[in-house]
Amino acid sequence: MTAPLHATLKRLWIVSAVLLVFFVLTMLAGLCAGSSDTGVRRVISVLVGGEAADPMLATIIWRIRLPRVLLAAMVGAALSMGGLVFQALLRNPLAEPYILGISGGAAIGAIIGILMGFARFPGVGLMAFVGSMATLALLLLMTSGRSVLKKDSLLLSGVMVNAFCSALIMFLVSITQDARLHNIIFWLMGDMGMTDLRQAGFLALILAPCFVLFFWLSNAMNLLTMGSETALAIGINVKAVSLVLLTATSLMISAAVSHSGLIGFVGLVMPHLLRLVLGPDHRVLVPASILGGGGYMVLCDLLARTLPRQGEMPAGVVTALIGAPLFIYLLKRTKS
Amino acid sequence: MTGKAQQRIGRRFFVILMVLGGALALILAPDSARGVRSVTDFLGRRVVIPDEPRRVVALAPSITEIVYALEQESRLAGVTRFSDYPAAATRLPKVGSYVHLDLERIVALRPDLCIAVKDGNPKVVIDRLMQLNIPVFAVNPTNLETVIQAVEHIGRLLNTEQKAALIAADMRARIEHVRQQVAEVERRPRVFFQIGLAPIVSVGSATFIHELIETAGGENVARGDVPYPRFSREQVIGLAPDVIIITSMARSAIFERVKAEWARWKHMPAARNNRIIVQESNLFDRPSPRLVQGLELLVKLIHPQLFGGSP
Amino acid sequence: MTAAIQLQKIGYAYGREPVLNAISISIARGDYFIIIGPNGSGKTTLLKLAAGIIRTTGGDVRIQGRSIGRFSRRHLARAIAYVPQLIRTDFPFTVMEVVLMGRSPHLGMLGFEQPRDIALAREAMGFTGVDHLAHRKLNALSGGECQRVFIARAICQESEIMLLDEPTASLDLAHQVRVMDLMEQLRIEKGITVVMVSHDVNLAAMYGNRILLLNKGRIAGMGTPRQVITYQTLEAVYGCKVLVDLSPLGDFPRVTLVPSRYIPAG
Repeated sequence: MTAPLHATLKRLWIVSAVLLVFFVLTMLAGLCAGSSDTGVRRVISVLVGGEAADPMLATIIWRIRLPRVLLAAMVGAALSMGGLVFQALLRNPLAEPYILGISGGAAIGAIIGILMGFARFPGVGLMAFVGSMATLALLLLMTSGRSVLKKDSLLLSGVMVNAFCSALIMFLVSITQDARLHNIIFWLMGDMGMTDLRQAGFLALILAPCFVLFFWLSNAMNLLTMGSETALAIGINVKAVSLVLLTATSLMISAAVSHSGLIGFVGLVMPHLLRLVLGPDHRVLVPASILGGGGYMVLCDLLARTLPRQGEMPAGVVTALIGAPLFIYLLKRTKS
Repeated sequence: MTGKAQQRIGRRFFVILMVLGGALALILAPDSARGVRSVTDFLGRRVVIPDEPRRVVALAPSITEIVYALEQESRLAGVTRFSDYPAAATRLPKVGSYVHLDLERIVALRPDLCIAVKDGNPKVVIDRLMQLNIPVFAVNPTNLETVIQAVEHIGRLLNTEQKAALIAADMRARIEHVRQQVAEVERRPRVFFQIGLAPIVSVGSATFIHELIETAGGENVARGDVPYPRFSREQVIGLAPDVIIITSMARSAIFERVKAEWARWKHMPAARNNRIIVQESNLFDRPSPRLVQGLELLVKLIHPQLFGGSP
Repeated sequence: MTAAIQLQKIGYAYGREPVLNAISISIARGDYFIIIGPNGSGKTTLLKLAAGIIRTTGGDVRIQGRSIGRFSRRHLARAIAYVPQLIRTDFPFTVMEVVLMGRSPHLGMLGFEQPRDIALAREAMGFTGVDHLAHRKLNALSGGECQRVFIARAICQESEIMLLDEPTASLDLAHQVRVMDLMEQLRIEKGITVVMVSHDVNLAAMYGNRILLLNKGRIAGMGTPRQVITYQTLEAVYGCKVLVDLSPLGDFPRVTLVPSRYIPAG
């Protein structure tokens, strides 16, 4: 008999290794690119030679670009994971992390924080986090414990909450008249430019345990996609697992969004793309989403910084410009 | 002891005394002897800046104008995107726009001093620059007097106090002249100053333009707590302004259309007397020495009769 | 001997509508227990209660003598394998992946499969005749093929009790017999208790050693096929004319539906 046709563990190692290389390459590319137009060779000489080689460039690389690249990687990983988990939880490959209204709540929290004059971090970030968690609580209240199993009611409630939040956001934007309007718009479109290592480290502290948890529950997620009855029958405590997944994902996405603003399409496109290439087994998809989603976001942020002749685009614009056509293409591929 | 030996000892003693004295002077001397000094900026922050700043980055177009007015443009290493006055400034390296500064570009210019404006520059960028050991001096011009003070302060920063004093005196004199001119006018015309086309936005009491209007002997009909209040067309007509002044960054064709829009309402004094005026905006909202030019222009627009025109 | 499954006075209601009323049943080990009855009689609900998928509103469910509430989900899955009616999924799992899901109760949280698990899966797929479909995606299969895949998954669970909800519903004749034979084989070779909901009265009569006839949430008959499947009982429960005689193949009843043209007028 030939080698077992289903060596999941071996596949996991191979996929992880390939994506890790991709991830590291994108991080390097992110460190090399920036608005001060330094050449790749100079960057490499600093990375290898240390600070003495070129202290100004070293400052730029380590203290401006590195935090930004790290943040982009973590936000990309968090959003991709969020999309993956929600797709399993709602049994819908078209679900995405903002579908339950968490993004709306975060935006409202952030806008209120900006209007109250808080600094970007920790004030506005904290308000965004509180807003999204409040939205989650509202959602759970609306659907009530038992119906968490019924994915349709969760989905519909999420859509309603999102619609309400959108209306509230538009209202808040319309009554803001001064420079704070500018800050609000930039937050809404996604802005990772002003972060430092301390903030990036803080986010990593929140995300790391979430990633570990999701990997641990990846087999359970496989079973969840087969329906709650099947999952129950094969030994998954569906209610407990669903609640844990929902809470941990919301926490993760809220934390990411509080640092970066609203960046869309990553959570929708990345899991879908990876599933198409790697298959639906979450034990492979979880690490793939972390590495692939992270690398993708670093690339998008790189483009956002370097494409425009003047200044930079919001990262959310790049992910939308790439993500939307990519997603349409993926849809066509899965249909055929 | 011989005379020559005495001379030698004396000389040595003298040298040792000089060296000791010099060392003492160095130890006891203030920071300025070592190339930096400590100043307090308009936000009350203590900033350590070089004695002779040679690579200055102006973080707002108004700062760029002030530096050029002080004739210190040789110290400038970078400016923000819309620093368009004087024209020479457009050739300097850009560091993003003043609401969205490019941190990397600023650092790449190796500045030894950045000059910021409190209203406009995002605080997070100022904090990041301080974190990266780049001194940032913030000014906070909110009215004509504090603009003059900003010029004086920046003059001190750039070691050109004399020139700064000249500019300040000139500005103060011209403002006083305007005050005397309008003191003789009996009636203060009602002025509607439109800065936004759609929606219609005017200026409240906490703006430069308001101060200019009032100093120029006009009555700002949009005065109030809201800095940039919005109006509907009926509201403006109801306020019956004598003069409407429109500034914006839109193109001239649109201006003419806007002017025609107002001119239709014949029972409004400004329309009836054909006092609807379109003007370039930079003279009125940038906290630089040209603000006084804006003031003088406003006087001409509000009180044409003082200059031989009809009221 | 302890009954495999014991239901004591269990009931269930969807909202205010009672679906089952105080049902008490005992299913012995090794039984081929088949539940029949008209639509809406509560057959599927009863099966789900026995499987622990829904909770009874009153009474007690015991699995191998222990109350079902005292089992953890994992242990319950090792004791009972449940094959639901057809479900559709939008996720492109292959047949092999789906069948291997049945090994989950025996593996750790992350559950990486060992060669033994893969061998078991292949064997199960061989039993149900889907091994040639191992690499195909589940949502590309026909209804009948899907059903056989789910049965293979249930076999992989290596549990002593198998609960199946209308497993022959989408299958063609050959596969209907094959599945029913397969259950018989598992009963005899491995002592597995089979509890099945069936809409096919004849198949139930042919294979079951105990039949439960449900009507409107209550027991209309329980016993051997010959005891339960009589023309009086069937006519009363199903409300149509039937002809019940003894099958030429063996000592079990045969049910023939009677078209109206054979019913004398008056």
